[in-house]
Amino acid sequence: MNSILEAKNLSFSWGNKQVFSGVGFDIQPNQIVAIVGVNGAGKSTLLKCLNRILVPSTGSISINSEEVSTMPILELAKQVSYVPQSVSTSFPLDVYDVVMLGRRPYISWRISDEDREFVSNTISLFDLEDFAFRRFDQLSGGERQRVIIAKAVAQNPSLFLFDEPTSDLDLKNQIIVMKSIRKLVDNKDNNCSALIAIHDLNTAARFADSILMLHEGEMKAFGSPEIVFTEENISEVFGVTSDLISSNDGAPMRIHVLDIPNDESAGN
Amino acid sequence: MESITERHIQNGYVQILIMAVVASCTIILGLFAMGIGSSEQLDQLSTLKIILGISEPDSLQSDIIWHLRFPRILMAITCGVALATAGALMQGCLGNPLVSPLTLGVASGASLGAALAIVLGLQVIDFLEPFLSNLPGPLSNLDFESIGIVANAFFFSLIVVVIIIQLGKMRSISPESYILVGIAITFICGAIVSTIQYFASDAEISQLTHWSFGSLSRPDLGQTMWIAALIICLMPYAIIFAWDLNSMALGGDDFAISTGVDPQATRVTILVLSAGMTSIVIAFTGLIGFVGLAAPHMTRLIIGNDYRKLLPCSAVSGAFLVLIADTIGRTIVAPIIIPVGVMLSVIGGPFFMYLLLANKGVSH
Repeated sequence: MNSILEAKNLSFSWGNKQVFSGVGFDIQPNQIVAIVGVNGAGKSTLLKCLNRILVPSTGSISINSEEVSTMPILELAKQVSYVPQSVSTSFPLDVYDVVMLGRRPYISWRISDEDREFVSNTISLFDLEDFAFRRFDQLSGGERQRVIIAKAVAQNPSLFLFDEPTSDLDLKNQIIVMKSIRKLVDNKDNNCSALIAIHDLNTAARFADSILMLHEGEMKAFGSPEIVFTEENISEVFGVTSDLISSNDGAPMRIHVLDIPNDESAGN
Repeated sequence: MESITERHIQNGYVQILIMAVVASCTIILGLFAMGIGSSEQLDQLSTLKIILGISEPDSLQSDIIWHLRFPRILMAITCGVALATAGALMQGCLGNPLVSPLTLGVASGASLGAALAIVLGLQVIDFLEPFLSNLPGPLSNLDFESIGIVANAFFFSLIVVVIIIQLGKMRSISPESYILVGIAITFICGAIVSTIQYFASDAEISQLTHWSFGSLSRPDLGQTMWIAALIICLMPYAIIFAWDLNSMALGGDDFAISTGVDPQATRVTILVLSAGMTSIVIAFTGLIGFVGLAAPHMTRLIIGNDYRKLLPCSAVSGAFLVLIADTIGRTIVAPIIIPVGVMLSVIGGPFFMYLLLANKGVSH
């Protein structure tokens, strides 16, 4: 089967400061890939390169075998949708109209009946009917995140890019949001996939099919959680010791973070 | 229970209805304002009869209505439409509610141009005269003396537009940079104007101060028609950007790109468009500031932030605001006319604050 995303030999730098280089991977349909790494490892930057918010210094990206760098921006928006970590605004719209922005790549001016139907269905899918005509800024963090994800879904793309979608959310909302992403990607009618930048290794291990581990500007490892999350990798990348409980009986693998080895901060 | 699809359609109708009501009020107010003035021969009823063609005006009545009152009212509407639309456009594309058409320094450029013309007699039009008078058509018949200040104000505000275009060519320029550059331009122009004033005579200072008040009576009928036509032609061009503005105003540049909008290019186009609309108007009227900030915000409180409705509604409410301010300004201590710029701030300011605070009370 054709890959949804193929990224080859990507590198990016801010001026002289190289953020990452030699990053290459592909994503198959109906897959979730999680990007993990320390703060500043380039997780968000990598996501933004795939969506042309940032332009990589080298390398090529193709989505459904089409080269991203030459794609018209409206066409790209039909293929990829990006969900930022949070959206705060001085000019909030109603929830319905925020989700309608997902149809923007398909609308010239007038909203068609199909667009409205699509948006209404998406709002129902995310259980947002009660908020549909509330203003976006009057919602809680978890509700806003769901609205922004619903907007991304209304775009009907092949690839979703999520930048730390759960970092501002409480425990229950984290699970709600991750489960809705899993459900979305598992829907075989759509053949879409998701790439998620995430800090929480346990959430990554539970929901992602593959893990992309970034370390010091390079791709440290790429593969299934069991392959990538080894005690050595976690120690080298995150600087912590850990205890791993491997998956069994359908329960995902668990990572117990233990301590910082040779802890300088303890002062002895 | 009605579906959310039906409710969304209904909300759209309600918003169009609100817009129609404000537009009708503006037209009625305009007709009413035509009948107000210091002439004793023209009361409301006889003015209405003349406008509707029921009774035949004598030449004095005709002059008063068509050469004094009509241009003024048309200019009030045009000015409100242009400045309110420009304000809404700029606030959206810079994602900042504090922005008004004067923020980018367009008005300061115009002030500088006016000061140069009034005090130093440096007029751009003098340099253009040899070229323009050779042209066929209406340009060759221009009265170069009378439009010297206007041409200067327009030319110097266009310099600001050129600066905006040049800024837009720089990579990764942020919305804040535009605002900061605008503030810098305002300070620079302000300093030069102060220096010029320092050396000016009392009469010149008085003329300059009068220019800066903002008045609707300066352009004549022909000029008013041209300005109105230009603004009408630019309006659809502004409304085309409604979807892009929704995206940029809601989530900033990254969010806009993900919905298929190129925020950098769109921002430059919108800023040039709105600065252009502002220059066209304030070159003729002088400084009229408040409507560009207040009309979009008042409209947001009533109709929300969806630019597809916000742009036309701001235009209509801006027209209403300027018209009512001017009508009160020329009747409250008649026959003295209080400049519209002053009236707008005096009446509009407290009303604006009331709306903002009342709305906060409801939403929290």
